[in-house]
Amino acid sequence: MTPQPQSPPAQTSDLLPGFDHAAFDSNAVFRALLDAMSRPGRIYDLPVNISAPDGLNKAATATLLAMADMDTTVWMSPNCATKAAGDHLKFHCGCPISTDVKQADFAIARISDDLSFVTDLAVGNAEYPDQSATLILMVDEISDRPSMTLKGPGIKDTHSLCIKGLPESFHAWRAENHHLFPCGVDVIFASDTQIAALSRTTRIEVN
Amino acid sequence: MEQTVKNPADGAPDYNFAYLDEQTKRMIRRALLKAVAIPGYQVPFAGREMPMPYGWGTGGVQVTAAVIGPNDTLKVIDQGADDTTNAVSIRQFFAKTAQVATTEKTAEASIIQTRHRIPEKELREDQVLVYQVPIPEPLRFLEPRETETRKMHALEEYGLMHVKLYEDISRHGHIATTYAYPVMVDDRYVMDPSPTPKFDNPKMNNMAALQLFGAGREKRIYALPPYTKVKSLDFEDHPFEVQTWEDECGMCGARDSYLDEVILDDQGNRMFVCSDTDYCAERQEAGHRGPQHHDQPLGSADRGKAAE
Repeated sequence: MTPQPQSPPAQTSDLLPGFDHAAFDSNAVFRALLDAMSRPGRIYDLPVNISAPDGLNKAATATLLAMADMDTTVWMSPNCATKAAGDHLKFHCGCPISTDVKQADFAIARISDDLSFVTDLAVGNAEYPDQSATLILMVDEISDRPSMTLKGPGIKDTHSLCIKGLPESFHAWRAENHHLFPCGVDVIFASDTQIAALSRTTRIEVN
Repeated sequence: MEQTVKNPADGAPDYNFAYLDEQTKRMIRRALLKAVAIPGYQVPFAGREMPMPYGWGTGGVQVTAAVIGPNDTLKVIDQGADDTTNAVSIRQFFAKTAQVATTEKTAEASIIQTRHRIPEKELREDQVLVYQVPIPEPLRFLEPRETETRKMHALEEYGLMHVKLYEDISRHGHIATTYAYPVMVDDRYVMDPSPTPKFDNPKMNNMAALQLFGAGREKRIYALPPYTKVKSLDFEDHPFEVQTWEDECGMCGARDSYLDEVILDDQGNRMFVCSDTDYCAERQEAGHRGPQHHDQPLGSADRGKAAE
């Protein structure tokens, strides 16, 4: 048989591996995400070892590998949308990647990026508030220093959360987002090794 | 009492871990993340056919399959009991397909799948309670059209539910709803707590454990994050109250647990026992005794006498 000409890029040999064990690793990452989303502001260690392509960090890669597939459209900020990241997600998740942020089920960006796109993310509608986007924000450091005080469902009294380099405009957007309830965007903070989340129900006091 | 059991790793090698394929699990997991972000809202999901009939917990099983990992310990209860058909078969299903450890001890479980009860023992932060839900829509018997109930939830239009509770009062003098008693979640969504007795409603409020609800036939998932305000609907002059009993558990003497009535003969004799079998067994092990308890082993003459 004569080898067929390959349609352009992505030599599989260039690709980084995904999860070691598809079922166990995606489950472990999902459990960390479920815990993080049901206890907003609490910080969870990334439970798996995974290699991240250029443009993404480990926790963000693990989150997408665990949650994204052909049914979810992923949008990447221009700084994250490297060829390596796109190839990695297409190969391991098979997810459509869009350049239209309004189409995104998962939007991914770095904290240092221009975050003005967040107001274009889908928030769902009053009858189907679940048809909203989830923002995965890659950050350098997550800690429980009390720069934000969080309240709301999932939080016994208060949780403290500190995201290094979080811009002022983020808080204005979250306050607006909170008023949209039950519509709104949920946020997953992903550092290289840790995960924390903000649900749309979470009330944030900036200290 | 059965302790935690490790299950062999060669249960059902032809199936994926925990029966469902990975793509189905991802779809359910995405619905679960939305469900905890919007407490009490029913998230539609693409419920699959399961190898058991609707009404046997297909929703709960799908949620459990999406959540369970190899290090979990699973407990399954049906009306509080670990040893009824539904509970045993679901426990064996996951013992076989996920090879997870199973237990009857509430304290040793990391995931508890339940049909129509909440365990008496207070649940912890590291536990997940998965409910099997037959009809997730609390407004369904008042308004059969899904398009309308969805609108009512969107507009927070719950007057009809209060009218229904009021009609109870005008007919019976009190709110006569005793199970599937509607609750208001975080001051926003009216939610069906599944057909648990209203006795269990207060346990849902501010529970430390995560509560997940799966309705297989109706294809809905909803959730209560830990420490979420869950209030049973009522009126100022007819506040919500749980059932109380004159009787105690015949086996362990408990007066604070939900009791099942057991008919003993056709002469009108009956006894009451804890519906939560683990709670009852634990109390008996600790030396508590109810009036109908028998310390004699099965088949002995004394025990026959006690049953008379």
